[in-house]
Amino acid sequence: MDPTFQNPVAPLPLDPEVGLRPTAPTGLAPAGVGRPRRRFARVVPNLVIIVSAVFFLAPLLTLARFSLQNVPTILLGWNTLFDKWSLSGLTKAFDDPNFWPALKLSLQLAVGTVLLTLGLLLPTAIWTHLRVPKARSVIEFMTVLPYMIPAIALVAGIKIIQPHARWFLNSDFSLIPFYVILALPFTYRSLDAGLKAIDLRTLVDASRSLGAGWGSTVFRVVIPNLRTAIISASFLTAAVVIGEFTIADTLLKETLPRFQATFTGREPQGGYGLNLLALIVTIGLFVTLSVLTKKRDPKRKSFARLAANAAMTPGNPGS
Amino acid sequence: MTNLSYVSVRKTFGPTVALEGLDLDVKPGELISLLGPSGCGKTTALRIAAGFEFADSGAVLVSNADITRTPAHKRNMGMVFQSYSLFPNLTVANNVDFGLRTRKMGSAERHKRVAEMLELVQLTHLADRYPHQISGGQAQRVALARALAVQPSVLLLDEPLSALDAKVRTTLRDEIRRIQTELGITTLFVTHDQEEALAISDRIGVMSNGRLEQLGTPRDVYRHPSSAFVARFVGSMNELPATVVGNHAVNVGGHPVVVGQTTQDDGTSVRLLVRPEDMKVVDDGGLHGTVTTCTFQGSSTILGVRLDVVDVLTSVHVAGIADLNPGERVQVEIDGSRAVCESMS
Repeated sequence: MDPTFQNPVAPLPLDPEVGLRPTAPTGLAPAGVGRPRRRFARVVPNLVIIVSAVFFLAPLLTLARFSLQNVPTILLGWNTLFDKWSLSGLTKAFDDPNFWPALKLSLQLAVGTVLLTLGLLLPTAIWTHLRVPKARSVIEFMTVLPYMIPAIALVAGIKIIQPHARWFLNSDFSLIPFYVILALPFTYRSLDAGLKAIDLRTLVDASRSLGAGWGSTVFRVVIPNLRTAIISASFLTAAVVIGEFTIADTLLKETLPRFQATFTGREPQGGYGLNLLALIVTIGLFVTLSVLTKKRDPKRKSFARLAANAAMTPGNPGS
Repeated sequence: MTNLSYVSVRKTFGPTVALEGLDLDVKPGELISLLGPSGCGKTTALRIAAGFEFADSGAVLVSNADITRTPAHKRNMGMVFQSYSLFPNLTVANNVDFGLRTRKMGSAERHKRVAEMLELVQLTHLADRYPHQISGGQAQRVALARALAVQPSVLLLDEPLSALDAKVRTTLRDEIRRIQTELGITTLFVTHDQEEALAISDRIGVMSNGRLEQLGTPRDVYRHPSSAFVARFVGSMNELPATVVGNHAVNVGGHPVVVGQTTQDDGTSVRLLVRPEDMKVVDDGGLHGTVTTCTFQGSSTILGVRLDVVDVLTSVHVAGIADLNPGERVQVEIDGSRAVCESMS
């Protein structure tokens, strides 16, 4: 044995001066050191949250006061904070004969755009990830183009083709392809991120090796594992559609944003009230859906339990 | 029982030749390991059998039926992948059930089969769990159960143990072998781990640059490597400079060593490849050297010895505990009967 060898786990030698073993370093700072830093670290995040909340909520609260209080704007102050709150502005909007058709059209356009977007982008994204991963950067660039090129440029293009494609542009649903383009930057990224998060190639190979064809693989394996990405993409698309004004106005389609614009011109209080309501409903839907997407299908568990029970059955050769 | 055959299979990816005329026959119930370094073509061979890639030329046969162009989902192969391939949205039981549902099997039969498979891999208690709630080793056992549930004609294993830690790997390796033997299923196992291949296989195919270098039993491949590549890749090797002095002898630093067979002419400089266990410490008559390291491994000790005459650091296996320390002088005898002579070029 090497005489200089020291066992690294042997106890530390006794200190001859005091007869006690020296204390090994614990890695902990002495009491009191670093406290101000810790307090600072605790305060900063809270401060950021408070400032952000004020930044977002203050305009909403002032909007709420403007649209839901029957008090002249000049008199809106602390002393009138609880005076004359009313939903009359909103009810005026609901009573307008153009409101419900505009809402219906916007919702139909949103559903149509979501379906067309997913129908086009989902297979494209899956195919790109599986077969031509090198093309991903090109597709990413192409999908960002609508973000870089303003909607007004698209409108200019529509104006040029309008005389030649009236048969198409006369339909309310002619807005859908344009909205698909406008939503591309958000939807493709969302789906792409979802696909990057799963080991797509292995999952697809595993599914196919188990006898599933492409359709079955996409619907039973890929889509369920992209659920969150698909929901995000759908909501972003719907948000784009429900908020889009420029193209709808150019093509004279009576969508919700167009109704809001004209209604706000006539009834500013009711119009802003409607904007506020739309915002609250959207936030509510986002929260509800994010909660719902976390829930698992109880049927799957029951199958698992049946299988487990079958294993326990005395007649079962495997048990 | 099914056999799997590759007949002169060639596959290229652009300018890269992944497989060059692969001929291999996996007999019914046999487990063959394809062993080789990364990029040697072993996974490509497996993916061609699974139907995820198609051969440029040649044929793949299952029980003499040509499946070269059959799509993956119609081949009835069971496959376990290197990365965890369980479907994250399904429970363990539903994962095992996936292939059975695809085959439109009746509900009662499916439940029974899932239960049997989970029992086989001893994971019945985890039937309700989702893949993210189980360990890596358990996930691979579920993947094995899922692959076996569909009663595949051939089982394909693509480095299923490489993502696992050493202890789990050994346990699962033995379990795979037990299940394979129990079911008598024809199996192709791809690995780059020689220990794994030696432990689990009926035969090993060592691959290099898209070619099958040697196909034989683990003992044959280890003890009688057909080439220097196989000798180096399977197990560890000492490489000693030597000169050929006849059909069955070489000279190592003036010391004659009897070898199995030399293909080189007399006087040719060669590299003699000798396994550490074919070198032993002797009291007299060996090559002189100095111990540089002494690594105790429980049942054996590995000595690092620098030989004087050829100034080469060699590794020598000694059974049990060697009472030697670095710096001590020793003599080493070479048993060249299983050594490989490689021309120095």
